[in-house]
Parts: sequence; C-alpha cells; structure tokens
Amino acid sequence: MFSKVLVANRGEIAVRINQTLLAMGISPVAVYSDPDAGAPHVQTAEESAALPGRTAEETYLSIPKIVQAARNSGADSIHPGYGFLSENPAFARACAEAGITFIGPSADSMEALGDKLRSKEIALGAGVSVVPSSPECLPGDAAAVEFAERWGFPLLVKAAAGGGGRGMRLVNQRSELDGEMESASRESQAAFGDGRVFLEQFIPNPRHVEVQVLADESGHTIHLGERECSIQRRHQKIIEETPSPALTPDLRRGMRDAAIAVARAARYANAGTVEFLLDPRSGDFYFLEMNARLQVEHPVTEAVLGLDMVEWQVRIARGEPLTLRQDDIQPRGHAIECRIYAEDPYRDFLPSTGTLLRWRPPSGPGLRLDSGVAQDQEVSIYYDPMLAKLIAWAPRRDLSLRRMEVALSQFQVLGVVTNIPLLQAVLRDPQFRMGDYDTGFLERDPPVTRPAIPGESRTMARALAAWASRQPVAPASPAAEGDNRVGASPWNSVGERRLP
Amino acid sequence: MTPSQGEMREIYPAEGEVYRYRAEEKETHFTFELEGEVPAGLKTATSLSIESRNSGEGLCRTESGRTHPFAWAWVGQELHLWLDGCLFVFQRAETRRRGNAPATEVSGDVLATMPGAVLEVLVVEGDRVERGQTIVVMESMKMEIAISASRSGVVRRVSVHPGQQVDRGMRLLELAPEEDPLE
Repeated sequence: MFSKVLVANRGEIAVRINQTLLAMGISPVAVYSDPDAGAPHVQTAEESAALPGRTAEETYLSIPKIVQAARNSGADSIHPGYGFLSENPAFARACAEAGITFIGPSADSMEALGDKLRSKEIALGAGVSVVPSSPECLPGDAAAVEFAERWGFPLLVKAAAGGGGRGMRLVNQRSELDGEMESASRESQAAFGDGRVFLEQFIPNPRHVEVQVLADESGHTIHLGERECSIQRRHQKIIEETPSPALTPDLRRGMRDAAIAVARAARYANAGTVEFLLDPRSGDFYFLEMNARLQVEHPVTEAVLGLDMVEWQVRIARGEPLTLRQDDIQPRGHAIECRIYAEDPYRDFLPSTGTLLRWRPPSGPGLRLDSGVAQDQEVSIYYDPMLAKLIAWAPRRDLSLRRMEVALSQFQVLGVVTNIPLLQAVLRDPQFRMGDYDTGFLERDPPVTRPAIPGESRTMARALAAWASRQPVAPASPAAEGDNRVGASPWNSVGERRLP
Repeated sequence: MTPSQGEMREIYPAEGEVYRYRAEEKETHFTFELEGEVPAGLKTATSLSIESRNSGEGLCRTESGRTHPFAWAWVGQELHLWLDGCLFVFQRAETRRRGNAPATEVSGDVLATMPGAVLEVLVVEGDRVERGQTIVVMESMKMEIAISASRSGVVRRVSVHPGQQVDRGMRLLELAPEEDPLE
C-alpha cells in the first residue's frame, strides 16, 4: 500500500494527479522550481519540496534532486506525470535503487519503447505495419543519404528519444537536411538529454489516431478505445476527441487488436498509448510509437468511460490485478479536449509570457477543466506554454462540440495571449464539424490559423476600449514610458501611477 | 458628461492605424462613433449600456438587448480587453507619439520577439544580410525560434551572445542600411 506519493511534475498534470491521490487517501508530495513556488500543483498537494533552480534541467529533469526529495519526504512511490522524466528509464531505475516504486511501466519496456527505432521492431514482430525509416544517423552519414535517395523528399527527421513533436522536422529538400538534423538533434538533446535522430518516410496529411491500453503485471491487457489527435500545430496536438470520426467498425477493431498485440509484445504493464498514422485515402494504418506514460489527452477517454486512469496506474503499480475485463469497456457519448496554450496563433504560435491578470475558466454541465495556473500567476519562459485543458462531453459529437464552443467563448484570460481564438475557429470550421480532417488541417489554404473576428465584436471592442480608457485606472505616466513589458501590471503598482 | 474625442490604435490581433472617435457617456449609456474612413466590416457607430461594479470587468448590452461580459487590464501602456472569447490590445494614440518610434524600422535594431535564451548568433559584425535571412536562433519554452532580418543591411553591432537570457523587446543586434557606410 502506498501512503505517500511524490508527483515529479508541475502544472495541470501534477494538480490532476494530486486530486486522484487525495481521493484514494494517499498523501501527495509536490516538487517545485523557484518560479513555481506557490503554484496550484503545490497548493493542491499535502506536502512539498523545493527543487532549487529555474530551468527544467536544474529542477524537474534532475533525477538526483527528485529522488532526494522523495527520500526526505518519506514517499514510497513516485508518479512522473507526462513529459520531463516520465519516459526516462534511468529515472525509473534510480527510483528502484532508492526503494521507491515508479508508477509506470518497467524501466526495460520503457527503454525499448522510448527508443522509436526499437519500438518499431517490436511492432513488426507483433505483425503490425510501420512507416519506413532509416537507422540512427548523423548529418552527412551514408545511411542518411541512402535513405533520402531511396524515399526522396519531403521526409521527416525524428529524435529517437522524441515525443510531443520535439526534435521533429519536416525537410523539403536535400539542402535543408543537414541543418534540420542538427537543429532536431539539439532540440532533442535539450528536451530529453539524448540527441540521436533518424529519418522517416513522410506520409502526407495522415490522420493521427491512438489507442489507450491498460495492462497489469500478470499480462492481462485491455484497450480503452481510441483518440483522434489530428488537429496539430508544429506536430503538437491541440484538439483531441473520442471516438474518432475517421474509423469504420472494421478499422476500429483492427487498430485496437494491433495496439493490444504491441503492448503484449513489449510485455507492457500500466497505462500506455499506441499511436498510429492512418492514411485516410487507403484506410491503411501504421504503428508510429508507443508512449509509456499517461497522455496529455487521457481525459477524453475518462469522460466516455467514467473511470480514473491515474487511479488504475497507482493500483497496477502497487501490484493489484486489473479487474476490468474488455467487456466492461463500453464508451458512452463523445468527448473533446482543447489545449489552452499561452501562445500567439496570429504570430506563428510564438510563446507568450506575463502575469495572468485575469483567469476565469468556464464551468457547466459536461465540462471539465484541468488547469495548472491561477490568476495573478506568472507564466514564465522556462516551461511548456500549455496552461490548461478544457474537456467537453455530451451524448453526441455535435453536442459536445457545441458545449466546447460555448465554453471557449466564456473563457476569460488577460495578461498573456492564448490560442483560444484558433480553437474557436477550428470548432466553427465546416470540415472539422463533419469530422473530415487530417494532420494538415491547420496548414490548409487559407489557413485556419488566422481566425477572423466578426465586425460586430471588433466595433464593440473599440467602443469598450474607449470606455475603459476613461475609467479610473490610468496607464503609466509619461515618466514610466519605457516600462512597456508585457506583464508589468498597473494593478501591482497603482499607487505610483497618476490618475486623471 | 459632454461628448469627447479620442485617438486609439489597435495593436492586437491586427496591428492597425490610429483611428479617431467621438464618445459620449450618460450614466450607464455609452455612445461611440468612429470618425473618418471605417474599415470594411466595422460599424460606424454603436450604442451600449455598460455596467461595471468591479474594476476590470463589466457587462455591456447592445441596442438589440444582447449582453456581453467583458474584462480589461492595463499592461504597461497597453489596454488589454477580453470580449467574446477574444483578446484585443489597444494603445492610446498619444502614447505612441510620445514613446519611442518602432525600433525595428527606424534604427535598424533587431529585437527579441519573446523572452528566452539566445542559442546561436549566425552573423558577425560587418556581415551583409538579406531580408528574411535567419540571423539569430533563440529558445523559448523549449522551442527553437529563428529570428530573421526584417530588411537587408549590414550588421553594425551584435548585442548578445549564445547562452544569454533576453527579455522581450531587447536588442539582439543592430543593422545598418546597405547604403550607409560603416562607422
């Protein structure tokens, strides 16, 4: 039995894990970097430990600091969340050596699956098709040149240790190949501490569909249905839904069987996700990778199944049998998730930082918000720009989309720029509404990434700006002219400012 | 209150020209009228009933009776306004006149578009660069972002080095127009 679990993460996922642990009667221990002192994931835990430093490398990626924090607090177990150290076998081994249970798969299956090249071999061994790829290579290597000549351009550069689109590049011509390989390698080194890259054939505009699996230590393996994740920017998902509008019953069955076959071949225990590329023209699907962790988008699965995946992760990790049978898995209705990012959809998704001067998320029937931020909190440059996830459920797809649309229009954020207008534009798009979309959706011509704002709203905005500028909180006096950083809040220093 | 005039500029999501308006406030009633040429799609005038109990948030009602909650905050010189799920940012026109001219165009400074760390500086002083050429690579929130020259010119001064943390708006390097002789 676990009595205390250290959550080695930050933001919304750490908050979400804390909630489940508390409900299970387990005491959560938070860790936090200097900029995260007092953040919601610390407030929702019962204890917390500082990880001195600011950057991810100094804090949430530091195995010695986290293991030491677990020891000091007397935690018997660690939940890694997603990202950071969640798929790092060295971390899982360091936990084991310290006598701490790692909530996730074994270090060995993590190692095999975390390496995209080895995981492809596992899938092939299980009789599942994969996308053709080169062995691991360096810029200018014979293997790289050979692969590029055989399959031509465009092709993808991928990080062997990659995930979440990090370290992935689309290369359109030979002259860009070496530079993109170097840049991908550097990004992967920074994000995962592993700079190995390889090349992969590029399948234009596939759909990205994944199957959630759950397995216990005895090998009992079930699937929890699929998630459609084709709305992506920079190869990173921003909207996910279940069930996928793309799957016929045959295709769905084939994909689920393939996912279970891969999980069994990898001797996988705990929650994992098998990702596939689906060619919507041919109906063929290819194994892409298996993520040995909880996924960002797991709440849509929870919404249609009414179960708590983190609870199952904990129970499996402490050796309990998975008492759910495949027949117990009967999805109900439709769920959609939108990721709220602090980034500018009008300016090439540039990350936005500043103080959250206002943070008023919507609520209502069928809505769930997984948030890692609070009003007045600083959104810093140090971590991923995802602020929260909004999930809507309804008995039918058209109804959950409508719920999401209403909720987004009520989501009040000031102080940082967010991608909410882009999410709204996707939800209004006729092709998206019909379920007819693929991973090229956001780059289509004309791009959906430049959402038009109705003229009525623009006129009203100008009128309200004129009205608000007459209200008794004035902008800085001319003397403070230089202070135009985003994030310099007049609320914090109103006494120094001259009122009209 | 008597009618008043003002000048503002929208800087987000679209960076627009300064516009002039007339406004009149009578108790909760606010009438607003754009002067001069009105951009396509915008109405010339609107009349709203506005209630605001707490500073920074309010409820406005259009003539058709439809209510819209809204919220605002000043971020330095910028008025951030939330309405119908969208963020708008405005500046008072006089702010801009008093403030510094846009540095990128007038002085040739290349500025950081977001806070982050400098990964690579791809040019040295004296280099000739073409418009659109990548000159600095930055990292922010774990993403690599290429900063390119907004025009052609010669690198007059490099102000940052790899590994350095920079704030948004900080000068990365200075470009001299091509015809300018180097100092």
